[in-house]
Amino acid sequence: MTTTTVTKRHGLRRLENYLPPEGVPIAFDIAGLGARFGAQFLDILITFGSVLALVWFLAWLDLLGWSAFVTLFVLLIFFVRIPYYVLAELVWNGRTLGKRMVRIRVISADGTRLTPYQVTARNLMKEVEVFTPITLLFGAANFQWPVTIAIFIWTFGTLFVPLFNKRRQRLGDMVAGTLVVDQPKAVLMPDLTEAATGTAKSARFDFDPSHLGIYGRYELQVLEQILREPPKTPEARTRITEVVKTILAKIDYPEHVAHAEEWDFLLEFYRQQREYLESRHLFGDSRENKFHSRGPGDGSTKNPGGQTPRT
Amino acid sequence: MTVAANTIAEDDAIRSARFRKEREDGWKRLDTLVTTAEKRGVQGMSYEDTLALASLYRQAMNSLSVARAISMDRALLRYLEALCARAYLVVYAPQESVTGVLGRLFTHGIPQAARRSGTALFIGFLAMMLGAFTGYMLYLQDPAWFFTFVPGGLADGRTPSASTEYLRRTLFDTSTRSSEALGLFASYLFSHNTQVAILTFALGIFVTLPSFILTYYNGLILGAFFAMFAQAGLGYELLGWLSIHGVTELSAICVACAGGAQMGLAVLLPGNQTRRAALRDRGRDAVKLMILAGLMLIVAAVVEGFLRQLVQSTELRLVIGWGLGLMWLAWLLLSGRDGPRS
Repeated sequence: MTTTTVTKRHGLRRLENYLPPEGVPIAFDIAGLGARFGAQFLDILITFGSVLALVWFLAWLDLLGWSAFVTLFVLLIFFVRIPYYVLAELVWNGRTLGKRMVRIRVISADGTRLTPYQVTARNLMKEVEVFTPITLLFGAANFQWPVTIAIFIWTFGTLFVPLFNKRRQRLGDMVAGTLVVDQPKAVLMPDLTEAATGTAKSARFDFDPSHLGIYGRYELQVLEQILREPPKTPEARTRITEVVKTILAKIDYPEHVAHAEEWDFLLEFYRQQREYLESRHLFGDSRENKFHSRGPGDGSTKNPGGQTPRT
Repeated sequence: MTVAANTIAEDDAIRSARFRKEREDGWKRLDTLVTTAEKRGVQGMSYEDTLALASLYRQAMNSLSVARAISMDRALLRYLEALCARAYLVVYAPQESVTGVLGRLFTHGIPQAARRSGTALFIGFLAMMLGAFTGYMLYLQDPAWFFTFVPGGLADGRTPSASTEYLRRTLFDTSTRSSEALGLFASYLFSHNTQVAILTFALGIFVTLPSFILTYYNGLILGAFFAMFAQAGLGYELLGWLSIHGVTELSAICVACAGGAQMGLAVLLPGNQTRRAALRDRGRDAVKLMILAGLMLIVAAVVEGFLRQLVQSTELRLVIGWGLGLMWLAWLLLSGRDGPRS
């Protein structure tokens, strides 16, 4: 049983409603195919590269007899095909060396911990999906053309499996019930309401409910995005002026805002708007966007352009 | 900021900002703990840190839940979501020790899986036997079939035109391989056979058929070989030569085929489940069968590489080969009857 849903935004797939045992849904970004391909390529490069380096080093030392040498080589090549991936993902919790480098990892699709079985299953299938096709492709010139075509169909067939499902699972992921996601990055930004210069009593700008009742959560968060990137170029400053003008017109604010005060105005407006919206929300009056007054039917439609232009 | 200014700001801050201020230190602590755990694993952390990690993780989850209800600060929500996801991945990491996993696998997991997979095992052995039968009958009709079935490298001069004397020598030959070369041979065999077995297994996901065909093909080779030696009057000797490792090795291929069949059957006949769910359920047994096959192949390679050349009497070869087979059977049938279903 899975409760997860996948939403697509700006080309990124996000796995939502992933339910850990604590019962608070969390979200992951599903790893892009480029990252996965890169990780696989890096893994092959690392494993086969280190085997070759080791073999070259041993040959240089010339300590082992010929047959012991070849025995070692055969066993090493075997080891770096399936066992390496299984062990690495077990020890490093769903990450091989290549996956560590491109910052992706394997998780269990159902919210439980990753089991040794899942790791083994998804990597056993790698033999069909990765290694055999590659080996065959290298030898493709020696086969007759129907065999070559069959090999190409097989290779590309398995390669395209992740393209045809929402969660970007390859065959091994389906068998094992696993997903590959981006390693989450947590960056704690300062709270913008702390950055507002004034306190409630000494605020330079004062907004009353008629000013704050216009916008909703969506516009507030667009404003947050603008405020997170202070303007550095003259063009960016002009855009800020435009934003201020738009807001002033929309909320019908009586005062004039001087050019030097614009940034403070926005910060103060953000603080009071957020306080207002959050307390309305606590009283059961959630305002998703500026269309909230038109009733619940319209309230859900988002206006991507927004009254406040994006920077 | 002075203390006085701080108090004013605290009293004055809006509700969600106060909420954040109260919990921020815990989140930051969790962040550093998670970072160390990601780099060095939980094993390297102190007892206090591990305890703190678990409780801070629950607090952060709680914060996330509350923040979703009261805060409209998107950056904060993003941060908490990512922090909780990272902490979740650290707290719910696989915690089984490798030896514990292996122990349970051998005493309970594999035998139970084998006993549950009757149909699939039947398919695996059936494929091999049908192949052998077909190969045998076709060879009797026309020995030229031999060249169709058996790749040149495998035949190694053992063709229908070879003399009985030559064939006998291939069965009882000690001169060509020194003991050192035997080790090489064993490792090569293991690697090669395992590759075949993994392929047989993994291809099973395409509705069983490829696994069946691969195993059937192995049977064909076997049948043709047997027919050739039988016509030369060496059937009994070949049986000994094959049995010593073949009972284990050929069974391993059949078991790998059975593992593939388990998955193929899940795709073909999912029953009341969705195909994906069926695949996930039966995949568990299939993977265990595959591990069993790998184990059998290791044993077979050791026997084939060393014992076959060292043991030259056909009777002894038969006893060792089928004795090994009985041991596998006893293990799979008798072990793990008591404990919990894994």
